[in-house]
Amino acid sequence: MNTFTRWLRKKWALYIFLCAPIFYVFVPISQYDTEYLADPAKYLLEYVGKAATILFVIVSCITPLKMVFPKVSLVNVLVFHRRQIGVSVFVYALLHLVIYYFYTGTWEIFLEDWNKLFILSGIIALALLLVLAVTSNNWSLKRLGPKRWKQIHRLSYLIMFLLIFHQAAQEKTGYRETAIYFAPLIVLQGYRVIKLATKKRTEPLPSEATRH
Amino acid sequence: MNIIKSRAWELPESAVTPESDFINRRRFLKAVGMGSGALLGNSIANGASWGFPSRLNENYKGEDLKPTDYDLIKGYNNFYEFTTDKGDVQKLANQGWETEPWEIEIKGLVENPMKLEVTDLLKKTDGIEQRIYRFRCVEAWSMVIPWDGFPLKKIIDLAQPKSDAKYIKFTTFYDPKNAPGQRRRTIDWPYVEGLTLEEASNDLAFMATGIYGKPILNQNGAPIRLVVPWKYGFKSIKSIVKIEFVKKQPLNTWQDLQPSEYGFYANVNPKVDHPRWSQASERVIGAGFFSSRQPTLMFNGYEEQVSYLYEGLDLRKNY
Repeated sequence: MNTFTRWLRKKWALYIFLCAPIFYVFVPISQYDTEYLADPAKYLLEYVGKAATILFVIVSCITPLKMVFPKVSLVNVLVFHRRQIGVSVFVYALLHLVIYYFYTGTWEIFLEDWNKLFILSGIIALALLLVLAVTSNNWSLKRLGPKRWKQIHRLSYLIMFLLIFHQAAQEKTGYRETAIYFAPLIVLQGYRVIKLATKKRTEPLPSEATRH
Repeated sequence: MNIIKSRAWELPESAVTPESDFINRRRFLKAVGMGSGALLGNSIANGASWGFPSRLNENYKGEDLKPTDYDLIKGYNNFYEFTTDKGDVQKLANQGWETEPWEIEIKGLVENPMKLEVTDLLKKTDGIEQRIYRFRCVEAWSMVIPWDGFPLKKIIDLAQPKSDAKYIKFTTFYDPKNAPGQRRRTIDWPYVEGLTLEEASNDLAFMATGIYGKPILNQNGAPIRLVVPWKYGFKSIKSIVKIEFVKKQPLNTWQDLQPSEYGFYANVNPKVDHPRWSQASERVIGAGFFSSRQPTLMFNGYEEQVSYLYEGLDLRKNY
C-alpha cells in the first residue's frame, strides 16, 4: 500500500470527499449564478438530489468493481469506506427532502404530491435508505448476523430501481441524464450477473466467500 | 372568487418602476440611432428594433404586478432549441444564431397570404405597445414580464382568414447548425404550437417583438414570438417563421411528445394537476429561498377576459 492510498484510507480524506458537493455548491452561489438566483430552492433541491444519486451509484458500484478489479488499491479504498459512503447517500437524500419542504413552502403543499409516483418513488427510496443507514454499523452487523444483514442490504437493488425511476421522471425530454448517471452501475451489474450465471454451475457464489 | 388583497412579493407602487431599465432603453435607442448598436453586444443588437420606444397600453399596465428582474428574464430560459439547461440558453442563443434579417410567412386558408421581413410586418401594424403580463410555466414557476409588441388580432385582420379556417398553427425556426439543441432528436423539430381562431382573436393574445422596452433578446424568442398569458408558457412559441391558418387542430410539439401530460389547450388551471406535480401554486422567480410560492390563479388571473372561450368545455379532459 503506497502513501497515497494510506491517506485515502484516513477518515478526514473520506469526509472531504463526502462534503465536496457542499463546498462545490458555493461556487454558483458566490458568483450569483442566474439559475441559482432565479429559484434558489429549486436549484439546491436538484443539486443535492444529484449529489445523492451520484454517491448512490458510486457506493453501488463498489461490490462489482471489487469483483472485476480485486487488486486495484483505489477499489480497495472504496471497499474500506463503503458503509460511510452509503450513509452519506442517506444524508444527502434527507437534505433533499428538507429542501423539498422549503421548495413547497407549506406543509399542505409539501404533502400534496405524495400520491404522484414521481414524488412517492423518492419518499420510498428515502425510507429504505434510512433502514440501510441505521444498520450500517458494526453493532447492527453483529446483532443481525451477516446473513440477515446482507439480506436487508439487498434492498439497495430496490432503491436502485426507485432512483432510476425518480431521476427519469423529472426529465422532460429523453432520458439522457438518467442514462449518464446510471450507466456505470448498469454496466458493472450486468457484468456481474453474467459472471454469476456462468460460474453458478461449478462453484459456490463468490459473494459468500468474500464477505466479512 | 377569493380575492387576495396583498401578497408577500408585492412592493409599493414606488418600487415597481424599473427606472434603470427605462434609462437603458433610451441609451440603447440613442446608440442605435447613431449607428453604433454593435457597441452594445450581439445579444441586444439582434431582433426587430422597429417601433421603439413603445407606448404603455393602459389596460395592461399590471398595477398589482412586480416585473421580474431583467437579469433573470435574460438568464433563466426554457428554449430547448439550444439546450434544456435554463442557465445556458443565454450563451448558446447568442453564438452565431442570426435573428435579423428574419422572414415570416403567413399562409394557409387566408385571402392575403404573405411572406415578408418582420420589420415590414411591424410597419403594417399600428405601432408597438407595452403590456405587463403574468407568465406561468407548466413547471410551476412564474414571472411578470413587460412585453412590447402588437395584438395577434392584427395579423388575423391583415391575413383575412377564409370561413373554413378554424385554427392557427405557428412554427418556429429550424437551424440545427446554429441551434445545438435541435441536433438532438428527442423532439420532432421544428417546434409547433396552435390556437383556435377564437383564442387568437382575444385581445390578450399578443405578438411580442420586445421585452422590457427593448427589442426582444434571442433567448426570449427574437425577433417575434407569441404571448398567450392565460396559458402555460410553452404555448407562447418563440422565434416564429410561419403562421398558418388551418382547418384541423394542429398537433403541438409537447402534446405530440407526451400527450398524457400536455394537451392542446394548456390553460393555466390550479385545479388540474400535472401528472407529476400540483399546479395549485407556483414559485415566483427571483423571490428567494423562503416563501416564494404563491397560489396559481385560474387562467393565470385572466379569467374575466378568457373564460367565455371555454364555456361548456370539460377543462379536466381538455387540459
